[in-house]
Amino acid sequence: MMSDRFVSKDGLKDGIRRLMERRAVIGPVFRGQYHEFAQLAQVDELDLTFQNSRLSPKGLFHPHSDRMFTYSLAKNDPEAGILKEAPQDYSPRVAVGIRPCDARAFQLDDANFETETIKDPWWVRRREATTLVGLGCNQPCATCFCTTVGTGPFDTAGLDVLLVDLGDGYLARPVTEKGRKLLDEAGFAAAAPAEASSRAGELRKAAEQSLGKLFSTEAIAGQNTLELFNAAFWDEVQFSCINCGTCTFLCPTCWCFDIQDEVSGEKGDRLRLWDSCMFPLFTHHGSGHNPRSQKLQRVRQRFMHKLKYYQDKYHLGAACVGCGRCVSHCPVNIDIRQVAQLMSASCIC
Amino acid sequence: MYAYTDRIREIARRLLSEDRVDLVIGYRKGTVPFMNEPFAARTPEQADRLWWDSFCGANLANYLPRRTDRVGIVVKGCDSRNVVVQILENQIPRDKLFIIGAPCKGMLDRRRIAAELGGKDALVAEEKNGRVLVQGRGFEVDLDRGAFLQENCSICIHRNPVIYDELAADLVEEQSGVDRYADVRQVEAMTSESRWEYFEELIRPCIRCYACRNACPQCYCPTCFVDESAPQWVGKTLDPTDTRTFHFLRAYHLAGRCTDCGACERACPVGIKVRQFTKKLEKDVKELYGYEVGLSLEERPPLDTFKPGDPESFIM
Amino acid sequence: MSEWEPKIVAFLCNWCSYGGADLAGVSRLQYPANIRIIRVPCTGRVNPKFILAALRHGVDGVWVSGCHPGDCHYIEGNYYARRKFGLLKGLLEHMGIEPGRIHFSWISSAEATKFAETARAVVEKVKAIGPARHFIKRQAEVA
Repeated sequence: MMSDRFVSKDGLKDGIRRLMERRAVIGPVFRGQYHEFAQLAQVDELDLTFQNSRLSPKGLFHPHSDRMFTYSLAKNDPEAGILKEAPQDYSPRVAVGIRPCDARAFQLDDANFETETIKDPWWVRRREATTLVGLGCNQPCATCFCTTVGTGPFDTAGLDVLLVDLGDGYLARPVTEKGRKLLDEAGFAAAAPAEASSRAGELRKAAEQSLGKLFSTEAIAGQNTLELFNAAFWDEVQFSCINCGTCTFLCPTCWCFDIQDEVSGEKGDRLRLWDSCMFPLFTHHGSGHNPRSQKLQRVRQRFMHKLKYYQDKYHLGAACVGCGRCVSHCPVNIDIRQVAQLMSASCIC
Repeated sequence: MYAYTDRIREIARRLLSEDRVDLVIGYRKGTVPFMNEPFAARTPEQADRLWWDSFCGANLANYLPRRTDRVGIVVKGCDSRNVVVQILENQIPRDKLFIIGAPCKGMLDRRRIAAELGGKDALVAEEKNGRVLVQGRGFEVDLDRGAFLQENCSICIHRNPVIYDELAADLVEEQSGVDRYADVRQVEAMTSESRWEYFEELIRPCIRCYACRNACPQCYCPTCFVDESAPQWVGKTLDPTDTRTFHFLRAYHLAGRCTDCGACERACPVGIKVRQFTKKLEKDVKELYGYEVGLSLEERPPLDTFKPGDPESFIM
Repeated sequence: MSEWEPKIVAFLCNWCSYGGADLAGVSRLQYPANIRIIRVPCTGRVNPKFILAALRHGVDGVWVSGCHPGDCHYIEGNYYARRKFGLLKGLLEHMGIEPGRIHFSWISSAEATKFAETARAVVEKVKAIGPARHFIKRQAEVA
């Protein structure tokens, strides 16, 4: 039951079509200049030949702009001023084509949104409603470094199903019970021949071997926090940063948000929107004091959080999955791989 | 290109060892193809890390406002005009600057090259004699440089720095017969409804990361209008009206100040052609007030001055 | 459509145009009630953000009026305003706001008749275009 299945390329389309009859299916769609994860209107929109989406799929669970509550401000309304939860759609849905790095990132994000004591209901309900069908990376990009940070091109952590493109079809590996149920529902019942499973294994090995180990996250975890914080190399690292939100917004493990109220006439919304520790006002206090008013402080904070503090706090490894989006799109080419190498160096000078 | 690199390094080394500047702002070679990183050399040894090629599209004048140290800076034609505007707007004193001019034949657009490669991963890019040789896993292409210029560079009429203390290379020939406003006229020919749709589609992918604003050397307000909250002029969500307001007002703030350096379009992670807003203003400023940005330290920016006979055909 | 009456915000400078509006009122000159007046010290004080804010609120037209060039109470405020507004109107219309929604005029405090006539003209022009369709911020359109 939990063994590998095989589905032809056309078979996959048919299965997805079947799924689309009952629920929303989201997958990589080419729009404009790049791929984005969008709800499929027709199965032919799905493009699984993509490398990865420009923006990470974290928007599935943590959209850029989210209406949390609404309220009335009408004078004679007895319920004026009372926050009411804004209706959301939590109906079951499927996301296809999720890369293992992004799936692992969702698990890292869970550490923030779903703890023993605090559960962010918007995040949690969206996670529960979504079945994640991953796609292994037969050919990782030049900017990928997932294996360096504890995941890999065929890693199943965080996925419900893993698909592997074998050329003539897909190997469909159920990872969780939720995933198995989905494969059954889609009609992907045919067991994969042993040869298909071993071919997938070879693709996995080749993909992993194409990625080198660029730095050691353990070494960073082992560094003295204060020495790392006060290291001299931050001055050079921070110089080019322009404090935009590109890295933050493209990153699958960045979750910081701002909450704002917007009023229109006699109605108001409480909105959650993405924020970035790169923005100068991120740590601006109501008193007017800003503990990270200097660019160096903010740039240092980003890398310390992702590569050091997160490790110390959650013991889940670094808050980076090596997807390479920040490396490819930082307008000034600040390279997290390079910064991590500086941070993991045995001599911090 | 390598001649430029050697010259820039030589000048920087000299300035730093003679203690004429505290740092030289230039570029160092990027960690990925088609990208370079703005870099501050603070010692003569660090000067050897400076680099120049056709991917130096970032505008280094972005790092000047409100600096109080003595700065050496490498500028292309457009960047130098931004420095002029910054001096006029009292953001940086002229006597603290040592301007290293780099006459420019245009910077290359990495996204146009990426599109040409059809999603294939480039590993190395090398320039030689007007060609760009790109190598990746299992492929190699030889591209004509001229076909991959940044859009603003293809219509540039100020390739040579307008202000400098020393040149890193000989002045280049300026382009002639360039039509800078073909795209503006195309929109001007549309009906209002079509224009609205055109810009709606243009900014649809915007994720409000503010890379365009932050990459711009002229965007240096201590508090950006986006962050003003009493009153809040523009919301911060991806609401289309708010996103439209952001782009409109940002462009308007650049009226008579934008040099069309292209840093904004280059920085945008989702590839929005934000210059479609500023190009219109540039055309109007030229036609209404006869002004071209950043050419002279003697002329005040157009919104900072007036003439009693200014055009007023739009007044009822 | 015949029911709809446009709402037009008018930024009038205190020394000239507002005085002109006042004189029009005192002289019992008739002009349409669609004009909502905001008094500012000078057209030079009118920040483009005000015009954007008015449009975002859903007004059907915006009208800015001040002293004639050369007669500004603050000597040069309206000269700067003239440059600002020319460029602002140009970019707004380039972006797709219908021509005929944004108006500028010079009306002195003695020109009551001109004020009434201009008010009528502005209302006519905006009526001809119809209610504001674009650039209105109501509830945030989020997914």
